[in-house]
Parts: sequence; structure tokens; C-alpha cells
Amino acid sequence: MLTRCSHLALTSLLVAAAVLSGCAKRPATMQAAAPAPTGAASTTAATPPAPAPMQSAPPSTTPAPQATARPVVQDFAAIAELADVFFDFDKYDIRPTDAKTLDANANWLKSNPNHLLLIEGHCDERGTNEYNLALGERRAKSTMNYLVSQGVQANRITIISYGEERPLCTEHNEACWSKNRRAHFLVKPR
Amino acid sequence: MCVRKPFAVVAILLAVVMQWAGPSAPRAQAPEQKTTVIIDILGTPGKKINIAVPEFAVVSGTDSAGAAKLLASVTGSDLTFSGLFSVVAGTGAIPPNNPAMLAQSWQEFAAAGAHAGLHGLLAVRSDRLEGEMRLYDLTTPQHRLIATKKFETPIAQPRRLAHKIADEVVLQFTGEPGIADTKLAYVTGPRGAKEIVMADYDGIGPAPVTRNGSINLMPVWSPDARSLAYTSYKQGYPDLYRAFPFERRPEQTLAAFVGINSSPAFSPDGKSLALTLSKDGNPEIYVLTLATGTMRRLTRNAGIDTEPTWEPSGRQLAFVSDRNGAPNVYVMDAEGTSVRQLTSGGFHTQPRWSPKGDSLVYTARQGVHDLWIVNVDGSNPRKLTDSAGDSQGATWAPNGRHLAFQSNRNGRWQIFAMLADGSAPELITRGPGDSTSPSWSPRLP
Repeated sequence: MLTRCSHLALTSLLVAAAVLSGCAKRPATMQAAAPAPTGAASTTAATPPAPAPMQSAPPSTTPAPQATARPVVQDFAAIAELADVFFDFDKYDIRPTDAKTLDANANWLKSNPNHLLLIEGHCDERGTNEYNLALGERRAKSTMNYLVSQGVQANRITIISYGEERPLCTEHNEACWSKNRRAHFLVKPR
Repeated sequence: MCVRKPFAVVAILLAVVMQWAGPSAPRAQAPEQKTTVIIDILGTPGKKINIAVPEFAVVSGTDSAGAAKLLASVTGSDLTFSGLFSVVAGTGAIPPNNPAMLAQSWQEFAAAGAHAGLHGLLAVRSDRLEGEMRLYDLTTPQHRLIATKKFETPIAQPRRLAHKIADEVVLQFTGEPGIADTKLAYVTGPRGAKEIVMADYDGIGPAPVTRNGSINLMPVWSPDARSLAYTSYKQGYPDLYRAFPFERRPEQTLAAFVGINSSPAFSPDGKSLALTLSKDGNPEIYVLTLATGTMRRLTRNAGIDTEPTWEPSGRQLAFVSDRNGAPNVYVMDAEGTSVRQLTSGGFHTQPRWSPKGDSLVYTARQGVHDLWIVNVDGSNPRKLTDSAGDSQGATWAPNGRHLAFQSNRNGRWQIFAMLADGSAPELITRGPGDSTSPSWSPRLP
């Protein structure tokens, strides 16, 4: 656990640095009762129970929808220049071989400053969903922190965790799992 | 609840126990046992009440859909599932208003070992089904009538009528209604395209809750059984939503902060929602007051804090944290203070507090995943599943007697249910593909 703790400390420092340099720019607003967007499938009526008084809906006391606050995920695309990095089981530290990959990725990003970066954190299928969601975020974050330490501006980077939900490989063996424990990179022009 | 219990019920159970206990059971003790007999039965797996459930008798209308047969079959399945009853096979329906024939039928069932008889009557109206249950004690010579009750459902819902009747039978024998009139919500579909569906508790009739083509995860029922909170990527990021599957009512966005918005857990009074947000840099547990949108932070820790689950009184929450290394289950009060570690030596995740409040089920990883249960004081952790593949993601039935969970023991993820002591595992979902993340609804309104 010592390694994890020291790594955490390092991570915290990097996160702090990232925050200072404007990383957490996406405002943390919320919508407590915003109506679902048109087209959301929420009105499926399946064997309704006998009608009863409806619980009153939470009032809309919160700020206006903030869909534009976070970059649109679908706008990002993978490019061959940015290779994935991989992680050991239940780990999120950057392995030495992957640091080389990240160095190359950092160089590309610095040479192409007009691109924004989305880092996806992924897990293998083992473990439970919720924990893997957190682990995937840790992987994306430690990847981001490494790139920032190599001089990539933190405010160009957005992270997202998919947990175990989007594996590259779907067989149930280590060869496959090791491919799925990854950070994946997508870019879009500013 | 005890006040609801007719004396006749106590008597029948007493008789049954005496029969099981054999000739050596001292009769003199019988009167003192009255209050404990029911507990004895429920606490002893394998000891069951034999109940006759003949085909329902049609008293009005035309049963062209064969509901009378279905009602007997579904009620019988529900009673068998409860773990309390063994259904005695019967023949055709016992006609109504024919005391002589009824007496003769019950006599034959009693001779075949039945302790109780369910005489079901069905009226088929143009738009609805009306069912009446008449419950008899077959251990008494005169076949005493224990209870009668009428239910009705829309005509297309004969199974629901059967579930209501079965739950009433369980109520008459235990003082607490059964759990047949409930739903299971769960996640289906290949990885990368997961939708939430809900089915009857027995897996029948899966119907979509989400249909957005995105990844929808980890549904959780509200205490009124009218809504489900879940995480979805439908707007790109893992945000938290609330769907109202029985109503034509738009979904709500509950939380759409930077980072993870997940792990919803409605407070027992339904007024607030514990959840996990990572907007502060790592996953922390918050409580959202639903009426105002106010967000209150409960944990402050550099590690992962997630998967909150409420104690039934609403005064405490258990959750998962890896603050001390591997993830284990912790408990805190509803203000986020008085944190204590409940399990150790993890990898322990997915805690779910039992409806009775006395224990928590959780998932432990030791090679494969198994379900474990532990007392609220951390004592007596015991394994419920037998390492046949992975078993994880448990959810309690509202009476605390059953657990549903996901297992890949048959090669793909399916939903199973078992008694809370780990016995009698039973496959619930039979559809193709993976089924994961079950959430057992409260009793339907």
C-alpha cells in the first residue's frame, strides 16, 4: 500500500497543479429536475400498478441546463498518432514502457496545440461495476497527470471513465483482460 | 402485525409443527409455544406448509384466456418460491357454492398431506379480473375458513392477480405479506450498449425502462416503487437520472457534474438520495435532497468512497472505501461522522443493508466473487454462495428473506434469486445475452 499512498500523494500534487492551471474548468453545476431531452426513452408504460397519487416532482430550483459546459464526447475521434497505454490488474500507475508511449503522445499534443484531448479510462470485466467506474477514472486521471507533467496544458484535457463497460476484447482470459485495462485517447480541433 | 393473525393460523401452524416434531414432542409445552411456532417454521429451512392450490373456479364471465388455470399455477409457483410452502398437486377446480364438494375435496387433499387449502374464485369482467381467495385450515376436521379476500387487476394482468393472492396467503401465515407482487429491474445487452429492463420478480415479462442506445447502468428503485435512479452515458458522460417506468412522465436529471455521477441509494423515506460524485477529484459520497436539489457531502477522503446503502431507519449508511488499502465496507451516520470499519481483509464491495436492519450482504473477491453476509456489528461474516463462477451485486427482497444477484455460473451473466441463507438458488432471467445489476423493488403500490 506504500506505493499506492506515495503515488496518491504525487497524484494529489499533480491534481492540485492541474487545478491551478485551470484543469477543472468544466463547472460543477447540476440539474436536479431538468426535463429529459426530447427523445429520451422514459415513457415506457409496462404493466402499471394501480394509479396512486403521484409523488410531487422536485422543483426546478437549479441553474439552467449546462450541456455546453462539458465538451461533447461524440465530437472526439481517435487518431493513429496517439497510442493506448495499459495497466496492471487493479492498478492505475503508469508503467515504464507506457511512460514512453505517453512521452510520444505528449510530444504530438504539444506539436498540435489546436487539439483538445479526451482520455477514456477502462477496466477489464473482473471486479464490480461501481468500483471499476472509480478505477477507470483513476487510470484516466493518472494518465492525464503524466501528460500534464510532460508539459501538456491541463485545460486541453477532459477525462471520462467507462469502467468495464466498453472492452476492446470480450473473451474471458488474461490476454483479453490486459488489452482492456487501458487509457484511450481521442482528439478534436479546438 | 400480530393482531392481524387469526387464531386459527396459530393453531394450524402448531398442528403442523407437532406433526413434524413427532410423537416425542411433549404436548404439555404446546401452549407456551404459540408465540414461537411461526418463528420456528420460518427459521427452519425444509419445514414447509403443504398447501393445496386447485385450479380457480370461474364464477362469472368466460375465461377464454385460461386465466383460472394460470392463476393456480402462478400462485402455486409464488408460494413455492417463498420457501414456506410446498404445493400439493390438485385436479380440476372446486365448484363454488357447493359445500359438500368442497368438504370432499379438502378431505382428499388432507389425506394427501395438505395442511391448508386455497379455494380460488375468478370473475372475468370485460376489462378486469376479480379474484377471491378463500383459505382453509385442513388440519381441523371441519376445515375451518382462515380468511377470505378479493383482489382485482386489469384483464391483461392475471399474473399480477395471482401474485397478490399469493402475497395475501403468506400474510395470513406469517403476519407479513409475501414479495410476489414486486419487480426486478436489471441491465441487459452486450457491453457498450446496455439498457435497463424490468420484469416481474420471477423474471416473467421483461419490459424496457430505457431505450436510448447508450450505456445505462446500476438501476435502483425508490421506496415507493414508482421510480428508478440509474447512471447513463446518454449525454456522453456518466450522469445520474431518474425514470418513472409506470408513468408517462419525463426522466429527471439528478446529477450531471464533472466526473462520475453514480451509485444512487434512496433514503428509506424517499426524500433524499445518497450518491457518488467524483467532481472533487475522487469519488465521494453525497446526499441529495430531492425536493430542493441541495447537495450535502458526507465523505472527505483521498481514497475511493462509493456505494452508499442506507440502514432502514435512515440514521446510518454503509459504504465502500479503500482509504485503508483494499476496499472494505464502512459505516457512518447520516451526517458523515462516526465512521467505523465493518469488514476487513477485503476486497469487499457492493454492500446492501438488509430490510430488517440486522445484517448487510456484500461481494467479496477472492479469485472469484462471492456473496457474503455480516451482522451489523461486524460479527459472523459468512459466505452465501459457493464459488461456482462469480456471484455479485446482491439486492434484497423487501421482506429480507430473499436475495437476487448476478452470476456467470452458467457461462454468461444471469440473474438468480436465493433465500437469504444462501439456499435454494434459482435462475430468474432466461432471455439471451447478459443480465446484470438487479434491483428488487419494494412491494408495488
